Amino acid sequence: MADFNVNLRGVGSVSVIDVKGYLDAHTAPDLENVFNKLLDQKQFKVVVNFNDLKYISSAGLGVFMAYVETMRENQGDIKFSNMKENVYNIFDLLGFPILYEFYKDENEAIHKFIP
Amino acid sequence: MQNKIKSFAQSGGLENAILLSILLFLFNLIFPIHDSWILSIISEVLVFGTLFFLYNYVHQFLSSKVDSPLSLVLNAGILAALLFFIISIANALIGTSGGKGNLGFFNSLFSVLLTFVFLGAIVYIFSTFRELFFLRQKKDPSTYFKTMLVFFAFSFFSNLLVKIDSSLDYPRDAFYVVTIVLICLNSIRVAWIAFLTKKQKYYLLIISVILSVLFGVTFGISSNSSITKQMLFAFSPGLQTVFGLVMIYGSIYYGIIFFTTLFHLPTAEAFDRKAEEVSSMMDLTNLITKVFDFKELASTITKITTRVCNSDSAWLVTRTEKGIDLNAVNNIGYVIADKISNQLLDGGKSDYESLEVIQLDELNYIDFDQHNFRSVAIAPLMVHNKINGYLFAARQKENLFDIDEKRAIKAFADYAAVALENAKLIEESIEKERLEKELDVARDVQEKILPQTIPSTDQLQISALFVPAFEVGGDYYDFFELANNKLGFVVADVSGKSISAAFIMSEVKGIFESLAKIILSPSEILIKVNDILKESLDKKSFVTAVYGIIDRNTGKLSFARAGHPWGIHCSKGKISRVQPSGIGLGLDFSSNFVNSIKEMEIQLENNDIFVCYSDGIPEAKNSAQEDFGYERLESLILSNCDKNLDSISKTVMKELSLFSKDHSQHDDITLVIFKWNKINN
Repeated sequence: MADFNVNLRGVGSVSVIDVKGYLDAHTAPDLENVFNKLLDQKQFKVVVNFNDLKYISSAGLGVFMAYVETMRENQGDIKFSNMKENVYNIFDLLGFPILYEFYKDENEAIHKFIP
Repeated sequence: MQNKIKSFAQSGGLENAILLSILLFLFNLIFPIHDSWILSIISEVLVFGTLFFLYNYVHQFLSSKVDSPLSLVLNAGILAALLFFIISIANALIGTSGGKGNLGFFNSLFSVLLTFVFLGAIVYIFSTFRELFFLRQKKDPSTYFKTMLVFFAFSFFSNLLVKIDSSLDYPRDAFYVVTIVLICLNSIRVAWIAFLTKKQKYYLLIISVILSVLFGVTFGISSNSSITKQMLFAFSPGLQTVFGLVMIYGSIYYGIIFFTTLFHLPTAEAFDRKAEEVSSMMDLTNLITKVFDFKELASTITKITTRVCNSDSAWLVTRTEKGIDLNAVNNIGYVIADKISNQLLDGGKSDYESLEVIQLDELNYIDFDQHNFRSVAIAPLMVHNKINGYLFAARQKENLFDIDEKRAIKAFADYAAVALENAKLIEESIEKERLEKELDVARDVQEKILPQTIPSTDQLQISALFVPAFEVGGDYYDFFELANNKLGFVVADVSGKSISAAFIMSEVKGIFESLAKIILSPSEILIKVNDILKESLDKKSFVTAVYGIIDRNTGKLSFARAGHPWGIHCSKGKISRVQPSGIGLGLDFSSNFVNSIKEMEIQLENNDIFVCYSDGIPEAKNSAQEDFGYERLESLILSNCDKNLDSISKTVMKELSLFSKDHSQHDDITLVIFKWNKINN
């Protein structure tokens, strides 16, 4: 079905996840694997770059909900950046902007972690 | 006529035999010596009758034992040995001194009893020969046997002629000789020997030679002018003749058995193996339809392979994505079998398209611990030209697998391949069935949860439309009749699909139902619902919802939203979004949530339309992966707002299906429309 790609890179002590394509119930496990890897490596500062994400379903949203608590408990966070408007609208409708930080640019988000 | 005799003989075989023997017994006690020929005739007839009925009875008794011919042979042998023993003892004790005239009561009683033992033994032995004769015969040879029986009878009664006139002994001798010839002819029928196993054949070889000699010797010592001969002759000359004939029959028959078995020995092994193969195949065929568990079948196949193919060990591996997987072993350790197969298959990389035998010493495989395998046969488990695994048979001996053995291994491998395929298909269909069941349950739950009736009135018309997705989504809507002519309503969407969504949905319904009558503020209800869901929702799940209360007396609507798409209000040709702030249920359980939930109040005017829906409508996709979108929905409502509710929802659905005609419906679609009519109030 729809393609999904996930890539992990480190910028200093911050981990940046690039998501690409369609994030739904079928592809959500791929993203979960990346988060599990980060937990194993005790990397709790995460920025998710949504630049190439076209669509996100409720299962995709669930992934961030599942991990954000652990990140925050360990002085980290999940921050979102470079979101297209249609994807942002989905987050917005659900009220995510009240609970998560959204940034136009990836570097902005990274600087929040490393001032 | 023949049948009559048969049925008469068999009907009361034992009773008649006992009756006749008692008569015979009494007769002999009263007339110990049959001097007159009338007495002789009576005596002979009685003896013959006893023999006849006893023979028929024993025949019925023995026919249940024909499945084990060796035990028949042995039983006859034991009786022959008993007779030999009795004769020898009798000869030794009274052989010479036993004078003729000494016929006291006890003496005659003893001799009659002994004679009965002889009589019984003869009948039993003869019946055994009869059973063996008919064993495994394809054509009906009963004519030959009956002819022989008739000549036995002739020999029996021809003794009477001698009694009447001692010069008339030539018919007796003639009958005697003919009977012996017939015995020889009938003794050739020993087809049953071929069906014995190799072990049984060796056993039979030894027994038959001993018994042949035993019968011969018994005949020899009894035909000398011994005491037993005199005794039998005195009792009944016919019986003495038959006794001699049966002893001859035994000697000849066992002699022939001996030679036949001897000639059968070289082929015994091959015969055994073929028989084993056939029965193993039959076992497997039965097994293949019954066993759903492939491991069990694999272990049976390795066992049979070891046995039938004369190998020391056998094991079966299946190919997986990661390499090879050892399924079953016989007579070899798992670790070693795994090691050998990995070496031979190069960790699953090399293929054997057909059966191959590998000589291990050529290839210098030596480090297999105590297993010094010399040759290993590898047969692929092939179905539809795809290799799913291999069957191995290994041998420590030097000799190669012969063509029959190879064929057998191949056959077993084919069976295993089919069974493996079956097991796989069954597993898949069970899984599919399970998923379908799950889907059915989820649909069922959803169907029961949604309201069966819509509380539509003249002032407040309501239409509700629900279209389930193929994979059940998590939409839910409901109406609650409240005090003071107010109506509460909820439209919710549970994240996730199928059974898990259905469970959460039913919980959400329960919570709303119990809270609706107690809490009369939409925002407070949503806050309370979130609080309750904290206990049961997992981290990944959330629920979006809108909750509203409409006062049917005034047309006032209070409305709150938790992450759900906004309400659409169409009034006087204008569309407005009713979007109070509020985050989804289950996203947060802190004050953030409580603070986020706001409530809006709207005064509905005459002919106003208010629409709630699930994201299945705006997020419906076309083939270009574009959303149907909120604007499209809003403009559809706007252009149709003066129509009745049914046609509005029909129009929306029609446009929606036109838009996403090339794309399957992914999510449930819910559309609830209210229309306020002040005029009728």
